[in-house]
Amino acid sequence: MKFWPLLLLLPVALHAQDDMWDDDAWDDDDQKTVWSGYLEAALGTRFDHDPLIDERNTLEDLRWRVESEWQRGRARIGFKADAGYDGIEDDWDADIRDLTVAMSFGDNVDIKLGRQVQTWGTGDLVFLNDLFPKDFVSFFAGRHDEYLKAPGNAIRVTRFSPSVNVDFVWTPVFEPDVYLTGERFSFFSPLAGTNVAPEPPLAADDPDRSFANGEFALRLFRTIAGREYALYAYHGFFKQPTALTPSLQATFAPMTSLGASLRRPVGPGVFNAELSYYLSRDDRSGNDPLLPNGQLRFLAGYEWEAKPNFAVAFQYYLESTLDHDELIDNSPNPQFEPDEHRHLLTNRLTYRAGRDKHTWSLFTFYSPSDSDFYLRPVYSYRHSDQWSVTAGANLFGGDNDHTFFKQLADASNAYLRIRYQY
Amino acid sequence: MIARFSIMLTALIFTTGAAAEVLTDADEVIARADLAAYYAGADGRSDVRMIISDSQGRQQRRQFTVLRRDLADAGDQQFLVVFSQPSDVRNTVFLVDKHMDRDDDRWLYLPGLDLVKRISAGDKRTSFVGAHYFYEDVSGRRPSDDTHEFVETNDDFYVLKHTPIDPLSVEFTSYVTWIDRETFLPMKIEYTNAAGDLYRRVEVSEVEDIDGHPTVTSSRVSDLLTGGKTDMQFRYIKYDVGLPETVFTERSLRNPPHDWLQRPER
Repeated sequence: MKFWPLLLLLPVALHAQDDMWDDDAWDDDDQKTVWSGYLEAALGTRFDHDPLIDERNTLEDLRWRVESEWQRGRARIGFKADAGYDGIEDDWDADIRDLTVAMSFGDNVDIKLGRQVQTWGTGDLVFLNDLFPKDFVSFFAGRHDEYLKAPGNAIRVTRFSPSVNVDFVWTPVFEPDVYLTGERFSFFSPLAGTNVAPEPPLAADDPDRSFANGEFALRLFRTIAGREYALYAYHGFFKQPTALTPSLQATFAPMTSLGASLRRPVGPGVFNAELSYYLSRDDRSGNDPLLPNGQLRFLAGYEWEAKPNFAVAFQYYLESTLDHDELIDNSPNPQFEPDEHRHLLTNRLTYRAGRDKHTWSLFTFYSPSDSDFYLRPVYSYRHSDQWSVTAGANLFGGDNDHTFFKQLADASNAYLRIRYQY
Repeated sequence: MIARFSIMLTALIFTTGAAAEVLTDADEVIARADLAAYYAGADGRSDVRMIISDSQGRQQRRQFTVLRRDLADAGDQQFLVVFSQPSDVRNTVFLVDKHMDRDDDRWLYLPGLDLVKRISAGDKRTSFVGAHYFYEDVSGRRPSDDTHEFVETNDDFYVLKHTPIDPLSVEFTSYVTWIDRETFLPMKIEYTNAAGDLYRRVEVSEVEDIDGHPTVTSSRVSDLLTGGKTDMQFRYIKYDVGLPETVFTERSLRNPPHDWLQRPER
């Protein structure tokens, strides 16, 4: 009851958009401020009850998106914000996704300052050198893909030159991923040896605020004859609370990474490869059981249009834990530690019909080493420029309770979203 | 006054001369049509809007600005397409590096995710942003992808039939083009599928002279099987605006080049 009556508000915002295509539409002043956004209602529910979570639903969102931008000379101000009601957290909330000033200096320097969503790297839903914050709770709950990327307060400076382009992002205050807390989804705790949903929800210790605890991300990139090369560096923290303080409070371990990627056309499709090395700065020899070990991550993928409107993509991803022997030797729960080599295969099938009116997609994660999987079937229907409907599911499973996807088995859910775009 | 008169006279003689000359080489006709349709000026810009109508008459709209730069006439080109409407695709940007000797490089920028997506080469005869136009209609199909033969030459048009060299890469078995003998603009294109049915038609309804270049300002593509259609109009067209190469890079995906996207004053 707390949720659905609000749906009645949706039609209030509607107005007729079926005016004929008169010439006036050309005359809109391109300096004029345009406000746009959407209203969205979303409901998701578990297939099965999670014994640790009272709420059966996984998603009860009413969301109002407002966005605009203003161009003044060479400066552009961007604004995107969401306001609404989250029935799972029983909370009215507002969140700014973008509030930025973007400016160009000289012929080849762009600066973007403020709260912004950022993405780089070549993976499709697999991340190596993209260490910008991600919201896995939204992703698993069935919100729009856009919400997988969480905003962060940052300064981005990009310098373009024919030899190499340089992207530098400074995030003064560490922005972790939105991680599993036990509020919406339970998660596996190696200490407890089973899934937990702590009350109050898990709140990991953030690093102290200081200049040195900021995040520094660097990308050097260049495209030569259609081949995209990039080098990456990052200095900050693991984005998930995989470390423990001496008093066994969850926290984020210091981490520095280096990486590289390539993306290029091969045959009828696009090939990508990416590599990254994660240095766990406070556990270089890998023998501290409270801190995550370093990693080597590798990704190779290929995507092509197998038939018109039918795209197929495969990725192979390897996550190797460095100093694995030391990890096992020092771990209080070696049976719950990751395999030395975690292999992950992904497949994306996308079929579009009726000139993109209908989109069917299935994204599959399968790990042969962890023996677990995650399926994301999604159907979207774009009824008009205003109305669209998306239905989908998040299905998790596997053999061992402690693996990444199997821990979410009781979170398996189906969802429906209805959006009115204005 | 005399100079002006002689220029007019020259123009008159040249124009009539061009119309009188009848080309008999299909490859030459298609080469000139390609130049007229896709290579006017050294570069150009236009605002474009589309109305997409499905078979039940329901309409969707798209509005965007296209910037184009030629590396050489009939050679490599670059396109930047920046969307302004509808609001869910605003600031979506499409970048094309069109090549003669290999597949085009194409990127799509999705602002919600800050994602630069690479589009695979095979994905070119599918709907462009929900329209009945294809990606390939935006940047042009390479003349070398088809063989060309005359169907007829009448008073107004060269009528050519085109057969794909790689039939598996396209949904048509052939298409016929009506090319204006004076402007060399393709005024009508009809596509035939494997069943032998005429299933798709592109028609030009308005041509205007812009900066001395005959330019299509209104066209329609019809899906003859379902009855759907997309109308496309071009406005604020300008040629030889001096677009630098740097406009056609990843920089413009995240940060659309405002100075070059503004409508020309005139």
